[in-house]
Amino acid sequence: MVIAVSILAGLAAGILSGLLGVGGGIVLVPMMVFILGVSQHIAQGVSLLVIIPTAASGLWHLHKEKLVDYKTAALLSLGAIAGAMLSANFVQSLPAAELKKIFGVFVIIMGGRMIFAKPRAKAENK
Amino acid sequence: MLQKLKIVGFGLGAGILSGLLGVGGGIILVPILVSLLGFAQHNAHATSLAVIVPTAIVSSVVYSYHGNIDVVLAITLAAGSIVGAGLGAKWMKHIPAAQLKRMFGALLVIVGVRMLWS
Repeated sequence: MVIAVSILAGLAAGILSGLLGVGGGIVLVPMMVFILGVSQHIAQGVSLLVIIPTAASGLWHLHKEKLVDYKTAALLSLGAIAGAMLSANFVQSLPAAELKKIFGVFVIIMGGRMIFAKPRAKAENK
Repeated sequence: MLQKLKIVGFGLGAGILSGLLGVGGGIILVPILVSLLGFAQHNAHATSLAVIVPTAIVSSVVYSYHGNIDVVLAITLAAGSIVGAGLGAKWMKHIPAAQLKRMFGALLVIVGVRMLWS
């Protein structure tokens, strides 16, 4: 039963991110917290795990189309790995309630951006 | 050299966001690549994925080291999510995405406020 619910939650998160062109994390984390009752820290850890195969399969398709600039990716990754080690370690000692608030601020900013985004797709079609 | 350092610095910012929030970091990587480094949207999206994969691996190793991971939940979510992403991408062409995006944005604001409150 729990497995069926989480497959359905994953399905819904996937549909939303495919439909809206947003990453999985912003959809997955709140879903796990509110629907599956997962703690904030585990929700974020699981979100990262889900992102790995999802991003890797996307990368594989775009790699074949020769769209990846690996030189720039390597430099960005160098910084990103260092940054991730810093913040992921920092987060572990934060109380769940604090982390939830930080995530809440991020979600509100993202939501605001989506509400006020210009409808770009139409302009590109002209 | 300075340009390279700058790119590493941009990466640092994206990595901090990823580890802090458990997200990929594409949200800031793509705009950085497009606006600051002059990438086309498609190349930016592709290149951001090449950064997200190693970053998410490193972040998730740290989370799992502290016991903040659930592999079974991740597998079931990923199974649903991969199927869903394919469907969503297909439906995108037939659904007025701009309105949907606005509705979803409003939902996110509500969710965010609830997260601040609880």
